[in-house]
Amino acid sequence: GMAGSAEPQPEALRPAMADPTVLSVLLALLAVAFTFLLWRFVQGRRSRRDAVLLLGLCDAGKTLLFARLLTGRYRDTQTSITDSSAVYRASKDKSANVTLIDLPGHESLRLQFLERFKAAARAIVFVVDSVAFQREVKDVAEFLYQVLVDSSVLRNAPALLIACNKQDVTMAKSAKLIQQQLEKELNTLRVTRSAAPTSLDGSATGGPAQLGKKGKDFDFSQLPMKVEFVECSARGSKGEEGDADVEDLEKWLAKIA
Amino acid sequence: VGFQKILTLTYVDKLIDDVHKEFRDKYRNEFQQKGTLGLLNSTFDFKDDFMRLLREAEESSKARAPTVMKTFEQSQKSQKTVKCMIETRGEKPKEKVKTKKNKGSKKEGTEAAVAAGKASAGDKQPSAAGEKEELTKDEILQKNREEFFKRHMKAGEKSRSPKPEAQKEKGKKPRVWDLGNSNAKVLDYSNSATNGSVEASPVEEFDPDIALGDRNREPGRLYDLEYDSDDEAEEEKVIQSPLKSSVKKGGLGGMFGMLKGLVGSKSLTREDMDPVLEKMKDHLIAKNVAAEIAVQLCESVAKKLEGKVMGTFTTVTSTVKQALQEALVQILQPQRRVDVLRDVMDAQRHHRPYVVTFCGVNGVGKSTNLAKISFWLIENGFSVLIAACDTFRAGAVEQLRTHTRRLNALHPPESHGGRTMVQLYEKGYGKDAAGIAMEAISYARNQGFDVVLVDTAGRMQDNAPLMTALAKLIAVNAPDLVLFVGEALVGNEAVDQLVKFNKALADHSMAQTPRLIDGIILTKFDTIDDKVGAAISMTYITSKPIVFVGTGQTYCDLRSLNAKAVVAALMKA
Repeated sequence: GMAGSAEPQPEALRPAMADPTVLSVLLALLAVAFTFLLWRFVQGRRSRRDAVLLLGLCDAGKTLLFARLLTGRYRDTQTSITDSSAVYRASKDKSANVTLIDLPGHESLRLQFLERFKAAARAIVFVVDSVAFQREVKDVAEFLYQVLVDSSVLRNAPALLIACNKQDVTMAKSAKLIQQQLEKELNTLRVTRSAAPTSLDGSATGGPAQLGKKGKDFDFSQLPMKVEFVECSARGSKGEEGDADVEDLEKWLAKIA
Repeated sequence: VGFQKILTLTYVDKLIDDVHKEFRDKYRNEFQQKGTLGLLNSTFDFKDDFMRLLREAEESSKARAPTVMKTFEQSQKSQKTVKCMIETRGEKPKEKVKTKKNKGSKKEGTEAAVAAGKASAGDKQPSAAGEKEELTKDEILQKNREEFFKRHMKAGEKSRSPKPEAQKEKGKKPRVWDLGNSNAKVLDYSNSATNGSVEASPVEEFDPDIALGDRNREPGRLYDLEYDSDDEAEEEKVIQSPLKSSVKKGGLGGMFGMLKGLVGSKSLTREDMDPVLEKMKDHLIAKNVAAEIAVQLCESVAKKLEGKVMGTFTTVTSTVKQALQEALVQILQPQRRVDVLRDVMDAQRHHRPYVVTFCGVNGVGKSTNLAKISFWLIENGFSVLIAACDTFRAGAVEQLRTHTRRLNALHPPESHGGRTMVQLYEKGYGKDAAGIAMEAISYARNQGFDVVLVDTAGRMQDNAPLMTALAKLIAVNAPDLVLFVGEALVGNEAVDQLVKFNKALADHSMAQTPRLIDGIILTKFDTIDDKVGAAISMTYITSKPIVFVGTGQTYCDLRSLNAKAVVAALMKA
């Protein structure tokens, strides 16, 4: 009966296993699986994070900063409508290169470009116009908040540098003042954003993470990533012919590269 | 970042394309070889080329002389005879039309020609030749068009003759919309005592004429909806667009294309994308996106993707779907996010109330959502004054009063430091809404309320006097936020509503920068399953964000929009 039919089967299999064609088929399958895994591994390595994003509001000076860092020369710039990227040699001795990516700051474009590049970000340079800061503090804080509560930014925790640009103008606010104002504004923002009505599909609007610690006032030291403030001037104090005042920025870039 | 369609220069599109092509061709080498660093370092001496292209574009736009109208002798009409226009098909209703047409053409020959149809019919009289001609497809088409026009003229004339006497004796009193004349008193059904206490209601001043309207109808009879369109024999000849014959590139070429697609070096062309875009457009329309917006959306996606090189192992469908999804997410996340709480805090600091106005057509849920929003504001610790500026609809003030009572019961003054969190400011019915709003705002300023929510009457976007009244209310009171309340069930109407509301607000405002709609409230979201297209239509037209979404009739049914979830529901099969 059943046992009888089961008996001849393993005996039939054994010669089949020894058959070279079956062995070769198995080997071929193993080889394919191995190459597939290798390919995925290589792809994973290729997409490691080595980009430094230049973010900020419109007219903050990102594109000029980009040009200055890469070429050292002054260029007339227009409002960016697409991203520009280039490899930046952070320091002369190390072979550490980062890809500097300049994203447009316009309200209708900034979020979609951020979506595209945030996964590859090793560090973020948030450029702030120190002259117009007093007027724009709410918009600056809103954009910064959107960057900070983004899920992949929270997960990867790229180093954050807030570059207070346009320091060559006399009316520019200092980095200390900008830091204080931003902390106050972000403190208010996290209250209002988390108090907003819940989202349609039930997830909270402010993201699962609350910025900073709940009981205390917001402070940049409460964030999971390292935050630094730096003063710089893309135009440079000596006008267009002279050098830009970006040494602090370059030092920071060399550090994180 | 991109130009709006307000520029009436006709050559701008072409100029931009030409400049784009010329620049790319001239500096093609630099682009391909040098990369970004090269771009930064090299100089682009394009000014002369640009001026030349600009001059050419301007010349071309001037060169086109206005087209001269064809004289009658040149037109095709004069070549035809009356007889050949007559239908030769033997259908019964056509025969009826035939005889009518002859009568019509004779009658219309004498009248002054206004419409094109009339003009062509009148002009047929002088052509005298009687031989029949072969009817070509175009002539059949023209013939049908003329029939159509004539039939309309027919109906107009017929209805015109018996009506004149009836119109004089109709006696339908026009409803007076202008408030501030004697009828206003008559419409004021409220009294100073509390509404709702039965014993205190005196005999109301009730003018039966105003309330009843048409006196001459039979009492008790329900009339049918009138509309004059002769639908018996009316068929619009739908011109079938010639079906695009899909030419299959035979054999080797097709194989090669597929292989190229697999490898990832194939660039997208219009022909590849068209079938996919058609399907996506139908899908969007099935999901309740307004038809013209779906068309525009697919057009812009096609333009963006044209010439793009596809990646490895990606199909045309997936690329197009991806691009469409990105475009939809971008539409739903427009520029400035409206953060009501933040702005209320700002206004608090300046010791003035934050004024929000709700406008929309009839029955979309303005009062319900106003109550929900006041509940949300109270939960966040702000005191609210509700201004009842709906002075027309029966029961509007009572509705708001009931909401106020309920909200005060939910949040009694004891739990908020002794101050009433919500109060109603009303002046009864029949008064001027803009005046009530102004008084409510100054009352709120004196009493220290944080927010003023102004409820207006629902009005159709075509009703010019009401739109003027709304525009006046908004222009005079300068609210901080103007919210348009729209229901998610609306389809193509959304486009019309929003356009006309915005236009009315812009036209009647005296200021340099008129106050337009600042945000949208999407209501009745629980009644649509996943046909969420109305959200797209509304944000596309105004480019203003959807601030709140209403999902029910209780106070907690207020949500904020999650763009990704809505787009996922939209793209779902």
